[in-house]
Amino acid sequence: MAKISPEEVRTEVKRFWDILSGRSQDKLEEMYAATALVFTGKAKRSESARLAAVRRTRQIPKTASVRADLSAIEVQISGDDAALAAYTYSFRTTKIQADGTRVQVDTPYGRATQVFQRDDAGALRIIHEHLSAAAPPAIEKGASGE
Amino acid sequence: MTSITAEEVRAEVKKFWEYFSRKSKSRFDEMYLPSATVFAADSRRMEPARLMLVRRERELFAAGSQVSAKLGTIDVQMAGRKLAVASYPFHFSITRTLASGKRVRVEMPWGRATQVLQRDENGVLRIVHEHMSSAEPVAPKELPAADQPPASRPT
Repeated sequence: MAKISPEEVRTEVKRFWDILSGRSQDKLEEMYAATALVFTGKAKRSESARLAAVRRTRQIPKTASVRADLSAIEVQISGDDAALAAYTYSFRTTKIQADGTRVQVDTPYGRATQVFQRDDAGALRIIHEHLSAAAPPAIEKGASGE
Repeated sequence: MTSITAEEVRAEVKKFWEYFSRKSKSRFDEMYLPSATVFAADSRRMEPARLMLVRRERELFAAGSQVSAKLGTIDVQMAGRKLAVASYPFHFSITRTLASGKRVRVEMPWGRATQVLQRDENGVLRIVHEHMSSAEPVAPKELPAADQPPASRPT
């Protein structure tokens, strides 16, 4: 099986954020190994990544505008079959609620750690993920025309 | 080099917190590879572990500082043959003195830790990456004057 390259890992990280931003129709849950664990949002404990992925996908309605900007992605390769990606990001979602109110949620200081491993079919899968924010998200509400 | 076991990783995590609580600086520092990177709980950027260690020494290993932690269940995942990931919740308590002389206490009841470990060239398990965060915002609380050192107490 081919050794993992840093570029391959960066491509997977970008695919992850493209899915979250609605720019890719790939399925988020398929990025994870079946046994993957994640720490995310306000969760007090780690949880199954595939369950969290299904929930995340549902939480971003089709009408939301989503923007993610990533810093440089630092990659460390371990042996032939595992890699670690660490980077910071900012994430903004804007939704129009049923009453016309526009709600913008800004996470300016996101931090990400993702550990990848090749599966038996040769695909890179995330086996562990820790997403957190150094400051609570800023929530702004206004009329949709603002 | 022998494969990493889950029990070995859990033992390293427990040592990490034991050294932290006892302020065993040199042993604590040795737990990290020289190239290790860290997301500290309150930091906006990733930094080299060696910088974080200098800050922890100044803020948390100083005389008068106290650190304690209670760990939840430590999950261990193997990533290939050479990397292991430990992840767990923890309750973290710190008492320390600020540069102003004021004493503060920080309680982080919902801490979350990811520590990625690998063997060094001598076969010793060491941290190559660490990500700490809190599920809830944390604010330091100033301690009452009775708990302040004499120099900073109001007269």
